[in-house]
Amino acid sequence: MRMHRTFRTALTAAAATLALAVAGCAGDTNVNQSGGDAAKGGSLAKDYDLKGESFVVGSKEFTENKVLGQITIAAIQAAGGKTEDKTGISGTATVRAALTSGEIDMYWDYTGTGWVNILGNTTTNLPPDLFKAVSDADKANKVTWIGPSPLNNSYGLAIKKDVAQKEKIKTMSDLAAYLNKNADKSTICAASEFLQRDDGLPGVEKAYGMQFKITELDFNLVYPQVGKDCTVGEITTTDGRVKANDLVALKDDKKFFVPYNAALTVRSEVADKSPDLAKMFKKIAEALDNEKMMELNGKVDIDGDKEADVAKEFLKDEGFIG
Amino acid sequence: MSATTQTPDEALAETGTAVVAPSPRSRSVWRWIGMPLFLLGIIAAIAIAINTKDIDSIEARSLGLQHILRATGEHLLLTVFSTVIVLAIAVPLGIALTRQWTRRFRGALITVANIGQAVPTIGLIALMAVAFNYIGFGASVIALVACAVLPVLRNTMVGIQGVDETVLEAGRGMGMSRGAVLRKLELPLAVPVILAGVRTALVINVGTATLAAYINAGGLGKIIIAGLSTNRILVTVTGAALTAVLALLVDYLAGVAEQLLRPKGL
Repeated sequence: MRMHRTFRTALTAAAATLALAVAGCAGDTNVNQSGGDAAKGGSLAKDYDLKGESFVVGSKEFTENKVLGQITIAAIQAAGGKTEDKTGISGTATVRAALTSGEIDMYWDYTGTGWVNILGNTTTNLPPDLFKAVSDADKANKVTWIGPSPLNNSYGLAIKKDVAQKEKIKTMSDLAAYLNKNADKSTICAASEFLQRDDGLPGVEKAYGMQFKITELDFNLVYPQVGKDCTVGEITTTDGRVKANDLVALKDDKKFFVPYNAALTVRSEVADKSPDLAKMFKKIAEALDNEKMMELNGKVDIDGDKEADVAKEFLKDEGFIG
Repeated sequence: MSATTQTPDEALAETGTAVVAPSPRSRSVWRWIGMPLFLLGIIAAIAIAINTKDIDSIEARSLGLQHILRATGEHLLLTVFSTVIVLAIAVPLGIALTRQWTRRFRGALITVANIGQAVPTIGLIALMAVAFNYIGFGASVIALVACAVLPVLRNTMVGIQGVDETVLEAGRGMGMSRGAVLRKLELPLAVPVILAGVRTALVINVGTATLAAYINAGGLGKIIIAGLSTNRILVTVTGAALTAVLALLVDYLAGVAEQLLRPKGL
């Protein structure tokens, strides 16, 4: 009986821990959500030809990356290609493994992630042209980087708009000066990862000479809490919820955060066989910037639109599809 | 749970086949110190793993002794505090719900308690933060309590209702008042079942308190989440193992309490 009880206790604890793990990393993995008609017409159909070719498109699990995945799918279809939708794979390590193992042919990643997480470099001594450095180094892994996009989804700090206006805070240096005078306001809401990473809070505090009191939250709870339990919040610079919650992203005037410019990563074998892919997605990448992406993310996260619809709308607005 | 089950020792004593068994004395010593030794062993293994591995700055931040001790303290506080509140709510309520005069709203109250347990804790915690804009220790305790009230409530009711009717009648026949029957007969006889419910609640709370880290209440969940979000397996495993150790320890201590509090002569 004792053994039995002990075993059950261990099982309960293990189950609770597992539940946490699952809650933490199980993304929305609906594989085929790009419903509706395939995209047609526009400049893509005219300029590029992917007829008879088919590609497996993946993405990470968060909104922006899923939207980028859907843009990729619609664009390939507009150029006459076939696609299989495997967007919504959880975690950089997993998506990247899916790419290098050939399970998927392409997904969007970010220069900073490529440089640090994938290629194993540190954030100090960044090369001046990060995109070039990453794409050159990744050739050895048979991965081709297409881009870069001006879209830079980096970490950032944000405060309430009215506070920013009243106290004239525009940059992170302004924030440091303000907090050093108002120590009681120096609480930051942030999620675990930002608190642990050297290129997150510990580094920011050192670079700007400020010291925060920490309120650790799930990342999704940070946005609505800024201005309530904390003055400052951790954000990502293309998140639609920055505007929706009346926040302003502060300028990283000392350029502490690593650039995370988006680019389409494609298996080199696939990219070499279809040269139109690189030409076409370089154009699309160039049409994306933070402002645009924030709007697209907001349509999904705040208005509840489907990623596939938002993606087609974007391509249509830019004249890529008809 | 195990209220009516005999331990192997008792079973052996009754059937009189103790010849092949080790002497009762050494057996019972191991029964008390086996689990603590096992848990110490796990902690030692974790400590060795941390100290022999080349750890990077992220791991160092999460695996510092100070940090781990603080997280463990926060975790214990969350668990103990929420369990005490669970007891304060569920035991009196459970007693009340076995009285004649509560028969009318019995169904409704049990339904409410059921809802509390049916909603996933992560949902309750998010609800606290999003709907009521309430984060931190208090919010976590509310969520933990809501999820653990039911087992204690149900065991209290089952325990009291399971008392042999003839015993109660004998009591009343001796001229005991209703209150005296409850205090002197029903509650003492129900103690083992009630305690089994408390033990369940404690273990549930140790596990679910890991979620409190999502709303700034700290605890060992902080370490697990840090490990998951930065893909550091040693950190995740340390947090998870420490949670399991704490759950086993709390269950062990509750088991000891159960032995001591069990009315003599049962």
